[in-house]
Amino acid sequence: MSSDDLSDNHYHHNTDEENGTITTTETLNNHNSSLCKKINLFHIDIRSEFSHHNPTVARINNGSFGSCPTSVIEAQQRYRLRFFQQPDAFYLNHLKPSILRSREAIKTLINANHVDEISIVDNATTGAAIVLQHVKWSFFESKFNAGDTAVMLHYAYGAVKRSVEAYVTRAGGHVIEVKMPYPVTSNNEIIRSFKNALELGKLNNRKVRLAVIDHITSMPSVVIPVKELVKLCREEGVDCIFVDAAHAIGSIEVDVQDIGADFYTSNLHKWLFCPPSIAFLHCRNPELSNLHHPVVSHEYGNGIAIESSWVGTRDYSAQLVVPEALEFVNRFEDGLDGIRKWNHEKVVEMAEMLVKVWGTNLGTPLDMCSSMAMVGLPACLGIRSDSDTLKLRSHLRDCFKVEVPIYYKQPKDGEVDPVTGYARISHQIYNTVDDYYRFRDAICNLVSSGFTCKVFQD
Amino acid sequence: MGEIRSHGDNPEDDNNHNHLQKKPKFSSFITQSQIQQEFAHHQPGVARINNGSFGSCPGSIIAAQKRWQLKFLQQPDDFFFNQLPAQIIRSRTLIKNLINADDISEVSIVDNATTAAAIVLQHVGWAFAEGRFNKGDAVVMLHCAFQAVKKSIEAYVTRAGGSVIVVHLPFPINSNEEILSEFRLGLAKGKSNGRKVRLAIIDHITSMPSVIIPVRELVTICREEGVNQVFVDAAHAVGSIPVDVQAIGADFYVSNLHKWFFCPPSVALLYCRKSSLSSDLHHPVVSHEYGNGLAIESAWIGTRDYSSQMLVPEVIDFVNRFDGGIHGIIKRNHDAVIEMGKMLAKSWGTNLGSPPEMCPSMAMVGLPSCLGVLSDDDALNLRNHLRDQFRVEVPIHYQPLKDAEVGPRDEGCGFITGYARISHQVYNTIDDYLKFRDAVNQMMQDGFNCKMLVSRE
Repeated sequence: MSSDDLSDNHYHHNTDEENGTITTTETLNNHNSSLCKKINLFHIDIRSEFSHHNPTVARINNGSFGSCPTSVIEAQQRYRLRFFQQPDAFYLNHLKPSILRSREAIKTLINANHVDEISIVDNATTGAAIVLQHVKWSFFESKFNAGDTAVMLHYAYGAVKRSVEAYVTRAGGHVIEVKMPYPVTSNNEIIRSFKNALELGKLNNRKVRLAVIDHITSMPSVVIPVKELVKLCREEGVDCIFVDAAHAIGSIEVDVQDIGADFYTSNLHKWLFCPPSIAFLHCRNPELSNLHHPVVSHEYGNGIAIESSWVGTRDYSAQLVVPEALEFVNRFEDGLDGIRKWNHEKVVEMAEMLVKVWGTNLGTPLDMCSSMAMVGLPACLGIRSDSDTLKLRSHLRDCFKVEVPIYYKQPKDGEVDPVTGYARISHQIYNTVDDYYRFRDAICNLVSSGFTCKVFQD
Repeated sequence: MGEIRSHGDNPEDDNNHNHLQKKPKFSSFITQSQIQQEFAHHQPGVARINNGSFGSCPGSIIAAQKRWQLKFLQQPDDFFFNQLPAQIIRSRTLIKNLINADDISEVSIVDNATTAAAIVLQHVGWAFAEGRFNKGDAVVMLHCAFQAVKKSIEAYVTRAGGSVIVVHLPFPINSNEEILSEFRLGLAKGKSNGRKVRLAIIDHITSMPSVIIPVRELVTICREEGVNQVFVDAAHAVGSIPVDVQAIGADFYVSNLHKWFFCPPSVALLYCRKSSLSSDLHHPVVSHEYGNGLAIESAWIGTRDYSSQMLVPEVIDFVNRFDGGIHGIIKRNHDAVIEMGKMLAKSWGTNLGSPPEMCPSMAMVGLPSCLGVLSDDDALNLRNHLRDQFRVEVPIHYQPLKDAEVGPRDEGCGFITGYARISHQVYNTIDDYLKFRDAVNQMMQDGFNCKMLVSRE
């Protein structure tokens, strides 16, 4: 579809009561998106696959907690039932091969070299803890010297920043944050800032030992040019290059060999339709890296992938349904590629619609967006702090039943009437235009009623 | 999606009572037939006498869990911000009462005892790395400590320069006295070259072989011997023996709730006595809650399914449907497992590995020597054989003789080197144990020996 199509079309959603499908027709243009064709062709009933979603909520925050179709939930329940029926037999006969099946599927998906490189963990937060604990040991065992540096983005995820504090700073490492301007205009800005940080990290005879690079930052959401940044790190001889790609799998293309990092982690419950929670940690060189899962079991020493596959008695069912999630994905035309493109096109369209109506701007250029976009909120809402964004988010949830996270951007000196709040809208296959119209109307409502975040101070 | 109810149901309405004191709604307690109904999902035809390994969960709790899972699926943001934190606090409060902890800040909920061990040992590891402990300072553990705990000691203590003192406890065993004197001896020997003992890890109920350890007395001995901190690994305790953490007096105490307390996998409590020493524990999976105390850190370790941790109120309701509540269940399980253990020992001409008062809801029953359990591999192979050929699920323990001439003997005068760890939980019936009895008798009749079995890959 050309961008002309996007701007000219009025999308009309028609709920077919009889067979429960939702068809989207373009009233002006007869080129239906190929994805919609496939939906009708193969009778994927999106409404029933996501029937557990609260129908009264405009759920435009897939980025935070993801979503899971009924077919995959049912597959998960079948695994859980098997455990309840005969746990010993399940543990001894079924668990290992099922985890291996999931690991094989992930290896293919991300173009890894060998299944040994793939560990399954709970989430990216756990993946980060594993890598950072390894860095801690490197400081303790004198492979790294006190004062050596770790470089990470200023917009790194909060939990990862704390993890770096808990494992790297505490062990004697010095942390440098890469400041990036926001709104961001191009990849070059990011690459330049990162280069500067690497230079800073080398001052006074120090070595840059660790780089933590987001593939898609969380707040504000930006697709980062990781391949170029990893290359810079290799040129500088950074020992440990870790890509935190929590949002990546299912929303952008992931080719770990092409990206070339030492460690790469991504959640499958965000954009790849798995239930909470499951992530993979890819390790370029598992034998050399000596990673360990922090929860030590009898598998200690058998490699990070095997260690991660048994961390004591717990519910592993979410980790076993990767094949079923991929089966779901492949019912769509062009599979995951098709879904990614569809989500990106739709979120771009919705973002442009919103900034037009509100008279604001996008924080992230559209070519640096994935299935999420950062939409400026009207300045008159008076967002002045992180606390305001949380309270506004709750207000939108409680009073308008719109679920969307908001980012506070501190105004620069001298800015007149700046946009200080950006909503991170997501698009996943279950979303409809109505979700975004409701958000549009909620904000318009707040603006016209003279609402400002000052009310939260009372 | 089976039992998942439609949006609009509010299970929270049922949970606004003080569950520990709640009496059953009806005058009658849960019946045998209702119990079987609650565990109808257990595979029929299997004599499931291994509750100790993976626990069990009644149907009504599984249904309650599905309701919480549905809440997440319906509106995850609302669930995480508005419902999860309050429900975790509710669970923690009930646990605090259950174990007689002093303050709710002392109670953290983690996945399992394996995770708790990692938390405590990582804390020890930092102390070595940051110079609070000196290279060579020791950690004490029992020889029969759970394998995961042993590996955790290797991963965090040995790797950081600490040393390990291993105390052997005798088995078969006849009294607490044997344990106390062995422990005293082992601890003294370990300290003999002037090493400082920083942490003792003591099981409350050992796993294999399974015995109740007199932890209260051992904690006292540790304090007398100048051990800095004591960590009690009580994976099996809650729901199979009474637990009073203040009386026990340890610094750290962990117990799984999915083994004997009817929670689904997995959930465990980690108790940390309030003191300046224990304030520096951290969950290894660091989130934005880092630094807010272990309990708060553990309550959020990234997006995942926390539903099993939210069910303590429902479980207490379930347990209170039984005559005598959890204490009634504990007593009846204990009495039944002893009765069944004695029945098996009599039939096979063997004996129990420990006296009844040292057995929780599990008992170690000697296997006839002619079965030839002469290695750990034999034990595992025999377990698989029992599952595959006889549909009996029971773990087997290999106990090497201390001395080739001396040891427990069966009626045929052969040495007993294999023990079955039988469990009894509310869903078990006498048929389960008769099936096991008959399986072993059949094997004896057939001249079975473990030598005939081939190890799996």
